[in-house]
Amino acid sequence: MFDYLRLEVRRTLRDTGFVIGGVAMPVMMYLLFTNLGGGDDGAWRTASMVGMAAYGAVGSALNTGGGVAEDKVTGWLRQLRVTPMTSRQVVLGRALTGSVTVLPAIVSVLVAGGLVNGVRLDAWQWAATALLLWLGSLPFTLLGLGNGYRMTAQTTGIANMVCNLGLAVVGGLWFPLALFPGWLRSVSAYTPTNRFAELGVSVTEGRAPGLGAVAVLTAWLLAFGSYAVISYRRSARIV
Amino acid sequence: MTRTTGTTARTTAGRPRATSAPPVTGTGTAPAVRFRGAVKTFGDVRAVAGLDLEVGCGETVALLGRNGAGKSTAISLLLGLDEPDEGSVELFGGRPEESVRAGRVGAMLQDARPVPRVTVQELVSFVAGRYPAPLPVAEALRLAGVAELAGRRVDRLSGGQAQRVRFAVALAGNPALIVLDEPTAALDVEARHAFWESMRDRARSGRTVLFSTHYLEEADAHADRIVVVDRGRVVANGTGEELRRSAGGNLVSFDLAGLAAESLGLLPGVVAVEVRGERARLRTDDSDATVVALAERGAIRALEVVPASLDDAFMALTSHDRETV
Repeated sequence: MFDYLRLEVRRTLRDTGFVIGGVAMPVMMYLLFTNLGGGDDGAWRTASMVGMAAYGAVGSALNTGGGVAEDKVTGWLRQLRVTPMTSRQVVLGRALTGSVTVLPAIVSVLVAGGLVNGVRLDAWQWAATALLLWLGSLPFTLLGLGNGYRMTAQTTGIANMVCNLGLAVVGGLWFPLALFPGWLRSVSAYTPTNRFAELGVSVTEGRAPGLGAVAVLTAWLLAFGSYAVISYRRSARIV
Repeated sequence: MTRTTGTTARTTAGRPRATSAPPVTGTGTAPAVRFRGAVKTFGDVRAVAGLDLEVGCGETVALLGRNGAGKSTAISLLLGLDEPDEGSVELFGGRPEESVRAGRVGAMLQDARPVPRVTVQELVSFVAGRYPAPLPVAEALRLAGVAELAGRRVDRLSGGQAQRVRFAVALAGNPALIVLDEPTAALDVEARHAFWESMRDRARSGRTVLFSTHYLEEADAHADRIVVVDRGRVVANGTGEELRRSAGGNLVSFDLAGLAAESLGLLPGVVAVEVRGERARLRTDDSDATVVALAERGAIRALEVVPASLDDAFMALTSHDRETV
């Protein structure tokens, strides 16, 4: 199981698309969005840092599903099924791969915030932000897996991109929610991305994440988890 | 002008093989593979239509058939990748999944593309590590002829190289049963030769090998037994020699020269008649009797008698206008 995790993490990190889209992009967008216009808004730099780290984590988490779809096409999943590995180990290994591969995105955006943008937080706040963003990315990994098991490689890529961009924008990961009209702001409060970022933001502001955020994220976790399981069962017949 | 060539059937050279090797795993006397009336339907297509097949421990068996004969579906069933709609498929006396889970099976699947972004060494080590008693990775790489590619990425190899890597993957776990679906399709002559050499090495060490192919020569040269599959069922089962005999041992051909072809099938020994233009080809299991009968009718222009090839046997066994064999 650990071997499988190691193999899949290696394969993911060798994917140039993943490194550019999942790590370099969020860092660049963060630096761009916070330094354009020359404003010196410390609060926005911190909030955007969390938002972009969250955006990068969501992208990487969803990317796991792209990997699954690819494995389906190449026959790798089929080959795994004729080794002594159980399908539960394979699925769990993939989910764990997803949760490991979100770390580079989170860490690099936080590093860019601390080193380039001069964001200052207590040590525990850095650690807690990273940890919460890491844990909070799990629903997105499951969403990606659900897409990957269900769809072809191409449609998974498109579905992941739509989920990623849509949820990121509506959830306020790119632009401050204050810019949104009132109705969109209330929709935003129910998106997993918004609550996901809230986990990190609350820590940077020195308080525990609200119950609302935890409740909404848990609901999404269950929903995306069931989606992944149902998709996997469907695919087991054709893989 | 009448000329006859030898009428004795071609003999094949003796082949080294381990016909009486003991089974590798302690699973009693159950055969390595047993299909009993297995049926698998996809939509309207009965890909496997009542397949009965047994492969004993230590045997090397070829599954021979045209494309679409049901070979790959049969292999999916025996690997537990698919469930039969009817009948049963057993490996070592139990459900296929159990044997796969226990590491008794290694397989090379058809149409698998290279796993992206992983090196040969990483891939083979990983697969070997899933099995309870694997081959040393270097040994698996050597047997498959990919030792010098160990550090290369699998998705950057040529088709033939990638196919050899898939062979290494099948061998890596040192399984008791090795299943190979069209194992030599992308190999050049030299690689093919090396491949069969390694496979024979495995067979000698007591492994059961089941491979599918549509190359007759391969099946004849490298298997203890050939199982001919057509339209989802077994139509013949035996050594190459037995198949040649069962399909009619010799081929008698001559120019019709205006003679009517209708009654040729009634001549002694004749089992099949084929007319191509002016030339008639009779498959016969008693060429002497056939030739005498033809001579009585004066049908001896450019008469020729040759042993039926395995190709002829295969064509006869799988020709679709003959329902029974």
